[in-house]
Amino acid sequence: MKEQDFEAKNLPEWRKYDATMEILEKGDVSAVDISKVPAQVRSRCLDLSLARHRLYGSRMCEYLNFQVTRGHNLVAKTEGGVREKMVHFFVAGFPQAMRREWRLLVICWLFFLVPFFGMWLSYDHDQEWVHSLLGEAERESMDEWYGKDSTGSMRDEFGSNFAMFGHYINNNIGIDLLIIAGGALAGVGSLFILLSNGLQMGAAMAYVMNEGSPERLLSFVSGHAPYELLGMIVAGMAGMRIGLALIKPGQLSRGKALMESGKLGLPLIMGACALTFIAAIIEGFWSAEQNPPELKYWVGYIGWFLLAVYFIFVGRNNQSRRIVIKK
Amino acid sequence: MPRNDIEVLDTRQSVELGEGVEIHLRIAGPFPRALALLLDMLIIAGIMLVVTIIVGIISTGSGMVGQGVFLIVGFFLSWGYFTYFEAGKRGATIGKRALGLRVIDRSGNNITKGQAFIRNILRLVDMLPGMPSTAAGVLIGSFGLGFFCCLFTKKFQRVGDLVANTLVVYTQPELMMTGQEPTVDSLAPTVALAREEQVALADYYSRASMWSEARRIELSDHASELTQKRGMEGMIRLLGMAKWIKEKK
Repeated sequence: MKEQDFEAKNLPEWRKYDATMEILEKGDVSAVDISKVPAQVRSRCLDLSLARHRLYGSRMCEYLNFQVTRGHNLVAKTEGGVREKMVHFFVAGFPQAMRREWRLLVICWLFFLVPFFGMWLSYDHDQEWVHSLLGEAERESMDEWYGKDSTGSMRDEFGSNFAMFGHYINNNIGIDLLIIAGGALAGVGSLFILLSNGLQMGAAMAYVMNEGSPERLLSFVSGHAPYELLGMIVAGMAGMRIGLALIKPGQLSRGKALMESGKLGLPLIMGACALTFIAAIIEGFWSAEQNPPELKYWVGYIGWFLLAVYFIFVGRNNQSRRIVIKK
Repeated sequence: MPRNDIEVLDTRQSVELGEGVEIHLRIAGPFPRALALLLDMLIIAGIMLVVTIIVGIISTGSGMVGQGVFLIVGFFLSWGYFTYFEAGKRGATIGKRALGLRVIDRSGNNITKGQAFIRNILRLVDMLPGMPSTAAGVLIGSFGLGFFCCLFTKKFQRVGDLVANTLVVYTQPELMMTGQEPTVDSLAPTVALAREEQVALADYYSRASMWSEARRIELSDHASELTQKRGMEGMIRLLGMAKWIKEKK
């Protein structure tokens, strides 16, 4: 069959298909008989293969290629419901990913805790390190907030809780995402940010414990610390997952390993955001409230306990395992 | 020409669908993508400006609530704008749509929400060098790494694309000019031609009328081994063989 005859024969069909696609791409599903659409897409596939095989001009091939592509995009959808995915993530995906990546969990905790305690303990021997790391301005604001003589509420102004909530969302989740993205620099970025956070927090801890009022600091941080610290660590794990694809791709090519790391890292990335979001809520609306310190400490202990239970036990039964296999 | 060489030369990505047909995706290069990005940045900056003005008017009494709103909006615009639009039905931000681009999976499917999330978190790495900072309310960076990564990968992928396994492609087919078909007598080739060679000849035939005569001869001279002639005569023989192939199919 000649090119012109082929085009003349099929043109009415193509025009109809084109119109159907335009309606569907606008999202108007009711206006067309969608049960016929897959068959229509398949017949465009047939047209395209015929046109290619018979060496029809590239204009026609390009046109049919376009029609097949847009049809395929409409028909082949892989997404499930968002709510279903969220539930699966919290009851299975996230805790399972944490258990699978326990080695990274240990490494990331070490990269945070060693500098943290190192800095804290260094204060007994040499105060220079802590002082120089914190700097003059930082020490003054520490004295103001957590000093021996500071009293009263931390946030007096109306709406300041909400302002701080906004700040924690913007800043803390931002840091988590920075840690994750830093993983793409062969993991160096993630570990560096964990390390520098460890040093900074260790220095602040040492300074307040020795020169200020430990109770003010600890009762403030205890409530949100479990979620915020673990959120940061999980972000580090996600970053390292991506970084390890470059350093140690194993049997895969580096490109393939990077793709895989994206898939493996996704639950960790989402988990880090979720944990830090919880931390921001607590830090914004609970931590600065004036409650007895013992109550605040207990909120912290319970937080750590709940997280441990969640990551050790949730998602272990057969039901949730089957969900994973089905995927 | 061996198939591999054709794939190296071509920026199109071939994907075989479940229906057994191969589709070609036209990959977009760094330049249109940069323009799309610039457009999106301007839109984000515009939204931030409007939010700042509204918040300024509403919270004249206490600046604290306004500050909180400002920070949260800034966060969601910086991190959520691209993800929201790219995970959507059209797979493209407003800027990408304006330039006729969209983000797809390497398999030609729409991307999942997870892929959109990953490629846009890693935007931060592509922004290097020059520390991306949220100081201005939104993220700003030089995109030097993303640019070089695009140039050094076959499919113009930045780091975020590599990890999320995504491509940025044109949504519309390439505009093909057509002219008069050349008037030559068909001529049987003296040797059997491979499939790719037949395709190349057919392409030559259908595009020949768009080129000057000198250009047509320049190209046909590359096939002088097949036509056994150079110059004008070679060109006519090549077109004749192309016509013969097209007629036979």
